[in-house]
Amino acid sequence: MNFRSLFTRKSKSSSIATQRLQLVLTQDRFEVGEDSMKKLQIELTEVLAKYFEFTMNSVKMSLKREGNSYVLMADFPYNQSNKLR
Amino acid sequence: MGKVIVITSGKGGVGKTTSTANLGTALAMIRKTVVMVDADIGLRNLDVVMGLESRVVYTSMDVIEKRCDLDKALVKDRRVEDLMLLAASQRNRKDDIKPEQMQVICEKLKQEYDFVLVDSPAGIEQGFHNAAAGADEAIIITTPDVSAIRDADRIIGLLQHQGIESISLVLNRLSPTLVKDGNMMSKNDVLDHLNIDLLGVVPEDTGVIASTNRGVPLVHNDGSPGAAAYMRIARRMTGQRVPIPEMREENFMSNLLNWFSRNK
Repeated sequence: MNFRSLFTRKSKSSSIATQRLQLVLTQDRFEVGEDSMKKLQIELTEVLAKYFEFTMNSVKMSLKREGNSYVLMADFPYNQSNKLR
Repeated sequence: MGKVIVITSGKGGVGKTTSTANLGTALAMIRKTVVMVDADIGLRNLDVVMGLESRVVYTSMDVIEKRCDLDKALVKDRRVEDLMLLAASQRNRKDDIKPEQMQVICEKLKQEYDFVLVDSPAGIEQGFHNAAAGADEAIIITTPDVSAIRDADRIIGLLQHQGIESISLVLNRLSPTLVKDGNMMSKNDVLDHLNIDLLGVVPEDTGVIASTNRGVPLVHNDGSPGAAAYMRIARRMTGQRVPIPEMREENFMSNLLNWFSRNK
């Protein structure tokens, strides 16, 4: 951390890069656009939201390589306050 | 019997040729027999990075078109034992050569050498397919930025499709200072996304520019951090267990030490 960063509240460029990378890789691997991914994410969240409380923008979806195949991963961050309905 | 390893990246300018030159030289330094094959037909560079450009007489094209024997086309590096270069033709195009022809050359070379390193051109077209055709294994070179990693991911998919199982990653030009400041993706950020084995990390080393100017690979200068990283990678390639050290931030003292080692 440098002196200037104490006064500016800007996201670190490396974490922006990581997010952008995640998005392009998922799109490339999946061959679906950002719109469809967003739609899938919303629909999945809607189903789970019947049982748990989630905020839509905390959900992350990605496609990970496991050996020669891909695994679709969806992270729904759950904490104690998201109690079972 | 040796093995054929294609060194590739997808994106250009990430250090494929520099890495091929340094890993080839480093492997020869630890007493392996090595031949480096420039597969970048029409845009050859490996001869220049190796400082062997004035001694290239024949190319892989001459071998394919039977103008000379394979052995005769190899240029011997005079600084290390058992290090050879097979140059690419500068007058031809990438599609003047077929994957099967490249495969034949690689097959022959691996009968006689421990390591056949194929320097792939950038891109995912014919040139890349030629370079990968005879490969048993692949080393992906990437830098820690979104576009290079994206292209690396695409290349990994293509290599797996071709049936190459052993694919490992060299993360090039990592700057510990930028990572610490949050302005560069870290080793783990990159590995999380690509999910292949890490063969090594090469720190950003400005010595590469002088080394390319001179045509003397960095590993000949044993004081530089880049050289040390390439030597470690070469030892891992021979099956030795060499841990990947955590990168230290450059500071005044380390810069001073590097300066001394470079100018001695």
